Amino acid sequence: MENLFTILFIGLWLGGIYGLVSIGLTLIFGVIRITNFAHGEVLMVGMYGTYLAYSWLGLNPYLAVVVVVPVMFVFGVLIQRVLMQPLLDEPLMQMFASFGLLMFLQNLVLMLTRGASLGIPSSGRADNLSIAGINLSLGHVLAFVASTVIVIALHFFLRHTMMGKAIRAVTQDKRAAATMGINVNRIYRLTFGLGTAITGVASVFLTPIYTLSPSIGGDFVLAAFAVVVLGGMGSIWGAYFAGLIIGVTEAAAGFYIDPALKSAVWFLIFIIVLIVRPSGLLGTVGAEEVGLREQH
Amino acid sequence: MRMHKWLFALSTVCALYSTATLAADPIKIGEINPFSGPLAKYGLELSRGHELAIDEINAKGGLLGRKVEMITGDATNPQQAIATVDQLANRDKVNLFSGTYMSPVSAAASDAAQRYNLLYWETIATAQELTERGLPNFVRTGPNAASYAIEAVAAINNLIAGAYGKKPGDLKIWIEHEDLSFGTSIADTLKTLLEKEGVKPIGVSAHSFKAIDLNDTVLRIKQGNPDLLIEIGYVPDGNLLLRNLRSQGYKIPGIMYLVTGDAPETLEAVGADALEGLLVVSYPRTNLPNTFSPGGDHYLAAYRAKYKQEPAATLGMTAYAGMQMLFDAVTAANSTDPDKVRAAAAKMDKPLGSYPGGYGVKFDSNFQNTRALPVVVQWQSGVPVTVFPKEAASAGVALKNFPRR
Repeated sequence: MENLFTILFIGLWLGGIYGLVSIGLTLIFGVIRITNFAHGEVLMVGMYGTYLAYSWLGLNPYLAVVVVVPVMFVFGVLIQRVLMQPLLDEPLMQMFASFGLLMFLQNLVLMLTRGASLGIPSSGRADNLSIAGINLSLGHVLAFVASTVIVIALHFFLRHTMMGKAIRAVTQDKRAAATMGINVNRIYRLTFGLGTAITGVASVFLTPIYTLSPSIGGDFVLAAFAVVVLGGMGSIWGAYFAGLIIGVTEAAAGFYIDPALKSAVWFLIFIIVLIVRPSGLLGTVGAEEVGLREQH
Repeated sequence: MRMHKWLFALSTVCALYSTATLAADPIKIGEINPFSGPLAKYGLELSRGHELAIDEINAKGGLLGRKVEMITGDATNPQQAIATVDQLANRDKVNLFSGTYMSPVSAAASDAAQRYNLLYWETIATAQELTERGLPNFVRTGPNAASYAIEAVAAINNLIAGAYGKKPGDLKIWIEHEDLSFGTSIADTLKTLLEKEGVKPIGVSAHSFKAIDLNDTVLRIKQGNPDLLIEIGYVPDGNLLLRNLRSQGYKIPGIMYLVTGDAPETLEAVGADALEGLLVVSYPRTNLPNTFSPGGDHYLAAYRAKYKQEPAATLGMTAYAGMQMLFDAVTAANSTDPDKVRAAAAKMDKPLGSYPGGYGVKFDSNFQNTRALPVVVQWQSGVPVTVFPKEAASAGVALKNFPRR
């Protein structure tokens, strides 16, 4: 029984990580309709950024959030302005461009680090918690809390602020939104920046847990794409809950079945959900097509 | 008559001239390694080991009276390996090849070298099948995958079981490995060897080296409650396993890592406390006593003098020793022809402790050096200290904090 609870909690924290990594991706997809293949590399850049903030500025790795997130926002705005905006009417080209960005970022970091693995030293046992016999790592708990806070904050931002309403208007119909006086390109830049900044939050909470390498983004991005599709492309709450489902499934399958099979198990669930509900758990029917279709 | 004398003089001069050019013609070694991409750091380190051995033989007047020259070729994958071998064989006319940090690259490159009937002298790549496929131009001087399992079992029998106050057969051992061919093949060999000794592992389980979380694995191990956990994997998953063990507050009495786990990045990632008492089966280190590892100190001094830094990984010295073995074999064969060198190598019989790293030379029928074994180190206060075999341990060194408290 103790194991069951431990597995459940481990699964939830893992789900928090998956959700955190996926929210930015689903936001960008939902609003700008770009499948950003470089998402894992954006995460990786954020993780190296956190490492730099820790090693150069001497910041506590979790406090690095105050530096990394604004920088990542600007980074996202620049990607949209320089790379994606000129290709606005060519969705396929945007996909290839994001793939190019993936290769560029990976090799750039490889060149700068010369392939050395980097990691933030753990500070003894200070980062571990024990609640009612269940042992947790502080990093995992913070990732879960951050994921929950972000999804709630994002919900309120999109529902109750003028800017959020503008983003939703552009999502629904960018031409109608433009005729209402909304600057669509500006909304796109803002959204890409916001999505990248949220990924920056994810990277801050992940950096203390992992050993960094230029290819580390790839370890997360497969799960992130699965989470986004499972939750419904473009749905923020969908990504959050799908992350939790995949996290718990993975932990339970790893413990009760076989660790070598855990990815196979959650991809099986993924396939079943897509057969039964192609739009994902909370997705709008048709959204999975909209992303690849030109909007008129 | 005068004409004859003149012709004689001319032919003598020509003959002298041609032997002189022959003597000046260097022996070119094509060095196949990843010099770009994420593994470049290790490819470079390996080549430096070769380079230092080459510098040394050149300082002594060269090999077979000829200077030795290394020509590097970048290969990060099998396709590139073949193209690079073609280029080095055709354009640079190398006499033989050496390498290699990655086993798949070694496999493809040696195969390509065979088409040119050139020797492939492997000093590092560990995959079993490299020698088992019976390629007629291939020789491996360094440890293979099985040798890590052999050394681990020797250490369990002769050192570790005693530290627990148990017989090896009474130890509860859990084998955890990454699930690709690297981890799986070593784990299988280890399991077979242990069972031969009457030790039945209580659990064997696999994980992906790209795993994001290993807490489920940790809980499975915890249920088994082993005396000794043996982990076979890469650096990232090895580090993650240690972190997850700690976050579960689970302290196993003994942990032994095979192949990786003694690198500075592991110390940086998990800290000296978590590593204290951890055993690692790994390449011999440069600070071994000279009685066991003759010339190890010379390697370290030469490395520091030439590259103005500390060695970045332990494999360099093994590559260095392997290159010295090549020079001994070529000298005995008086040729770089694969058949002649292999014939000479087959006759070599040097006891353990003949080369840096404590290596000896005795090839089996597949030209795997059977006297190339890794050593066992233990993390003691943030420093990896060699504890096994006994001859490799410095005076006064013993297992500390083991079983771990």
